[in-house]
Amino acid sequence: MSDALLRMDNLQRHYETPAGVVKALDGVSFEIHEGERVVLLGPSGSGKTTLLNCLSALDSPTGGAYTFLGKDVPRNHSEKMTSFRRDNIGYVFQFFNLLQDLTVLENILLIQELAGKKDPARAKELLGLVGLDAEVNRFPGEISGGQQQRVAIARSIAKRPTLLLGDELTGNLDTETSNKVMEALVSACKQENITSVFVTHDEGLVKYATRVIRIDSGKIVSDKQITSDEEA
Amino acid sequence: MSSLLNKRLARSLWRTKIRLLAVVLMVSVGVFAGITFGGYSHNVEGMYETLQADDERGANLADLWIDNRSATWSPEQVTTFCNALESSWMSDIAALDSCEGRTILQGTMFHTNETGTHIINSLWHGIPDDANADRVWMPDGHAEGRVASSADEIVIDAHVVEALDLSLDDTVTISAGSASLEFTIVGIGYHPLHVFMAPEGSLFPPEAGQYVVGYVSDSGMARLTNSSLGSANTLLLDVEGSPAFDLPDTEAYEGDEINEVKSLVIDAMEVAALDGRIRDRGQNEPVEIMRQDLESAKRSSVPFTVMIAAIASITIVLSLQRLVQSQAKEIAVLRTLGVNRVSLMTGYLIAPLVIGVVGCGLGALIGPWGVNGMLDFYEGIVGLPITEREVPLSLYTSIMVPTMLVVFLSGAFPAWKSSRLDPLEVLSGQNQMRVGSNLLRRLTSWMPTTLGLSVRSSVRKPVRLMMTFLAVGISLMLFGSVQMMSAGLQDTIVGGLEDQQSWDAQVYITEGGDADVIAWAEARGASYEPLIEMPLGSVQDADGLERVFTLVGFDTYESGMRSVNVIEGEQPQPQNDVVQVMLDEGAMTFLGWSIGEEHTVLLNGAEHDVSVVGVTRGELARTMYFLREDLGQALGVNATSMYLALPDGVEVDASLAEMSMGVVERQAIIDGMKSLIDQQTQIFQAMMYLGLMFTIAVMFNTMIMNVAERDVELATLRVLGASTKSLGLMLLFESLLIGIIGGLVGVAFAYGGAVGLAASFSSWQFYVAIVIVPSVAYQLMGGVVVIAVAMTPIGIWRLRRMDLVEKVKDLSR
Repeated sequence: MSDALLRMDNLQRHYETPAGVVKALDGVSFEIHEGERVVLLGPSGSGKTTLLNCLSALDSPTGGAYTFLGKDVPRNHSEKMTSFRRDNIGYVFQFFNLLQDLTVLENILLIQELAGKKDPARAKELLGLVGLDAEVNRFPGEISGGQQQRVAIARSIAKRPTLLLGDELTGNLDTETSNKVMEALVSACKQENITSVFVTHDEGLVKYATRVIRIDSGKIVSDKQITSDEEA
Repeated sequence: MSSLLNKRLARSLWRTKIRLLAVVLMVSVGVFAGITFGGYSHNVEGMYETLQADDERGANLADLWIDNRSATWSPEQVTTFCNALESSWMSDIAALDSCEGRTILQGTMFHTNETGTHIINSLWHGIPDDANADRVWMPDGHAEGRVASSADEIVIDAHVVEALDLSLDDTVTISAGSASLEFTIVGIGYHPLHVFMAPEGSLFPPEAGQYVVGYVSDSGMARLTNSSLGSANTLLLDVEGSPAFDLPDTEAYEGDEINEVKSLVIDAMEVAALDGRIRDRGQNEPVEIMRQDLESAKRSSVPFTVMIAAIASITIVLSLQRLVQSQAKEIAVLRTLGVNRVSLMTGYLIAPLVIGVVGCGLGALIGPWGVNGMLDFYEGIVGLPITEREVPLSLYTSIMVPTMLVVFLSGAFPAWKSSRLDPLEVLSGQNQMRVGSNLLRRLTSWMPTTLGLSVRSSVRKPVRLMMTFLAVGISLMLFGSVQMMSAGLQDTIVGGLEDQQSWDAQVYITEGGDADVIAWAEARGASYEPLIEMPLGSVQDADGLERVFTLVGFDTYESGMRSVNVIEGEQPQPQNDVVQVMLDEGAMTFLGWSIGEEHTVLLNGAEHDVSVVGVTRGELARTMYFLREDLGQALGVNATSMYLALPDGVEVDASLAEMSMGVVERQAIIDGMKSLIDQQTQIFQAMMYLGLMFTIAVMFNTMIMNVAERDVELATLRVLGASTKSLGLMLLFESLLIGIIGGLVGVAFAYGGAVGLAASFSSWQFYVAIVIVPSVAYQLMGGVVVIAVAMTPIGIWRLRRMDLVEKVKDLSR
C-alpha cells in the first residue's frame, strides 16, 4: 500500500448546544491512500456529512489530528482553509450548483480561472470524458439533471484536485442516471488518478468503491476494503 | 389565520430592520419636504398678500405704473393726465382709487463708518405722506418710526439698516445727481417694489449695505432734486380690487381687465402729452419675479413629495418582491395547506400602509420645523419678515394623501405576485430554474470568465436593475438638477462678469453729465467708456403680448470694457439702413426670432426697425445690444453711464458720486452674486447630500439583495476554493459596472431635470440657459460610483461571515 494521502487521528467535532454537547464526530481515526475510492455510509445524523466537512476543511475539528500529505490541515482560519481546498480538494454537490448564467464550458473555466489554472483545452477534454462534448455552449438550465451532475464532476476535477469529495451526489437522480454519473466519475478519477470520498446512504453505490467506511453516532463502526472482484 | 399570517410577515420584515427604517425615513423625508415647501409657499403668499393689501396693514401695491426715467413731468402734466383719465373712466371698469405722481430716482448715499466714507448706489422714492398706492410698509414689530413727512426726513429700507448700522434719528447724506443733502431717519420700513433688494435690471441683490433704498416725502424729493413739488417721473394707478393682468409664465392670456385700463391710460397720456412705458404687475419685474418664485414653490411641493415617495415606493416594491421570492417556499406550503390568496395578499398590502403611516407621521411631526427653517432662510435672503406663520391642516392632507396612495400602490404588485405563486412549481424547484441569456453570453464571451459572470449577474434581474436606476435617476433629478442649474448659472452669469469685463465702476450720469466724469477720470489716469443702458425697449411677441427688455449700447464689442458672449451670428456693424442688433438667447427663444430677421420694436415708446445679427448668452434679463451711436440716435441720449477702469490706488470718491446718479462697483456686484449663490448653494448642497443619501439607500438595497440572492452561487465558489479576494474582485467589478451605469443614468436624469427646471423657471423676466458644467456631472457620477463601490466591502463582509457548513447543508437540501 502507498503512503497515506490523509490521516485522521482521534478526530472530534463537538457542538455546544443549550441541551448539552453534541458529539457529531467522536474520535474518528483512519487513513486514506492515493487512488482509493471511499464510500462513507451511515444513517441520517450519523456524522458522515460532518466528517466530509472536516475532510474538505469546510469545518474545523474541535479535537484530534488531521494531516494531508503529511501536513496539518488548517483549521479555524477561513482563508487558509479556502486555500487548502483550492489547492487540494474537488467537491461535488447533491444539487449540482452550477452557475446558471455561465455555459457548461464556462462553469469549468471559472473554477480553473479562480485557481489560476485556466486551460480551455483541458476543460473541453474533461467534458468529453463525462460524455458532454456536445453540450459545451449550453446553459445548465438547458440540460438534464444527470448531465448537470456530470458537468459538476468535470468542474470538480478541472483543477486537478488531489482529493475529490461528493455529498449525496446521486441523491437527486434516478437509478439509471445515477449509474451513468458514477461511471463517469469512476472513469474520470481513474484517468486523472484522483482519490475520492463520497458520502451517501445509497448502498447501491458501494459497487463503485474500493473501500467502504460505515459511521454511526460519530464513530466508525466498520471499515472495509472492497476487493477488485467486488468492484463494479 | 390572517392575523397570524400578517404577524409572520411583520416578523420577516423586522429581520430587515435597516431597510425598513430606510424606507420609513424616505417616506418621512418626502412628507417633510412637501410640508416644508408647501408651508413655505403658504406663509410667503400670506405675507405678500398682507404686504400688497389695500388696508391699514398693507402697502397697497399699485395696479399700473407709467414711467419715463429720462424725463420729468411737471405737476400740471400729472394733473392733466389724472383728470383726463378720471373723466374717461368707464362705469363698467372697477373704480379708480387713485392716480398719483411720484419721483423715483437713482442716487447715492455717502456713508461714513470706521473704515471711511463709502459711496453706495441707491434709489430714492418721493412718497407723499398721504399716498394711497405703493406706500412704505411698516408691519408691527418689524418696523420702526413713521413715514417721512417733512422735507428733511427719510425712511430707510429695513434691508440695509443692520449692515450700515443705521437707526432712528441718525442723519444720512444722500444725493441724486446734484449736491448732497442731509436727511434725518424717521422710520425704518419696507416697500412692495423692494421685496428683493436688487437694483432695477438686475436679479442679483448686492451684499447687504451695498445698495440702499430710501423713502423721502414729496417735499423731500423736491428738495433733493431741486425741482418743484409735485413733479414726477412715475405715475401710479390704483384700481379698486385688483384687475386681472397677464401672467407671463402662463400660455393663456389673462390681461383683458387691465388692458381696458391701459387703453384709457394711453388716451390720457396723449391728452397730457406724456411719453413713457406702461407696466402692469406682470410687467413690473420686482413684483413679477417674486410672484413667479412663489408660484414655483407652490407648484413644486406636491410633485417633489410624490417623487420622493416614488423613490421610497420603488424601494418598497423591490424589498417586498424580494421578500416574496425568499418566502416562496413558505407561501407555497401555506397555499398547499389551503390558505387562500386574499389572506396572503392582505399582509403585503398592509405592510406598505404601515410604513406609509409611520413615515407620514414622522414627516408631519418634523414638517413645521422645516417650514420655519425655510422661512428663516427666506427672511435671511430676501430680508422681509414673515409676520405670521402657520401650517394649515389642508397642507398636511394634500401632501400625505398622495404619498399614502403612492406607497400603498407599491405593495400591490408584490402582493399580487405572492398570491399567484404556483405551489407545485415552487416546491419542485422549477421556479428557480432559468436559462442564461445567449445575447449576454456572446457579448461577454471575450472577457475573463469571472468578469463575464459579474456582468451577467449584474443584469440578471433587469427589471430590478431598471427600477434601481430609475430610483437613482429620480434622486439625482430631484437633487442634482438644482446643483446643475445653479452651477450653469454661476458659470455663465458670474463667470461672464468676472472674466469678460474689465471695468471697475459704472457711473450713472444725467444727460450731458459725461464731461464731468471724463474730466474726473482723465485727472486720475482712469480709462473710461460711455454706454447706454436703459430698460426702455418693448415689442409685441407672436401672441400679441408686450415684452419689455433692456437696451444696451456700446461703442465696440471687441475692445471695450465689457465683452459680450456672442454664441451665434456676429456683432452689430455701423452705418446700415436698418440698425443692427444682438439679442440675448432668452429673448430670441421667447420671441421665436432668428438671425437675419428684421423686426419693429419700441425704443422708449417710439417705433424703430432693427435687424438681428447675433445672439448672446450670459444675461438673466432680456437684453438688446446696439452700437451706442445707433441707440443714441434712437433714444436721443448720448450716454446713461460710464464704465471706469481705475488704476491702482484710485477709488470712487465723493466728488465722483456727487456728479453722478449713482455708482456701482463691479466687485460689489460679483460679491453680491457670489453671496446669493453661496447662500443658495448651502440649500442645494443639503439637497444634494439628501439625494446622495437616497441614492445610497436605493443602491444599498439593490446590491444587498443582489449579494443575498447569490449566496448559493458565492457559497458554491467558496466551497470550490475561490478566495475572498477573487470573489471580492468580482463583486467590485459588479459594483463598478452598476455604479457607472447608474451614474450615467443619474447624470442624464439630472440634466433632464435641470432642463425641465430651467424651463419651468424660465420666463421673459428670468431666463436660464442650461450649460453642463463638467465638474458637476463628474461629481454626480463620481458620487454614484463611490456609493456603488462602497457596497463591495459589505458583500465581502457577508462572504467572510458566511457559515460554509450551514451553506453546504442548504446546498444539499
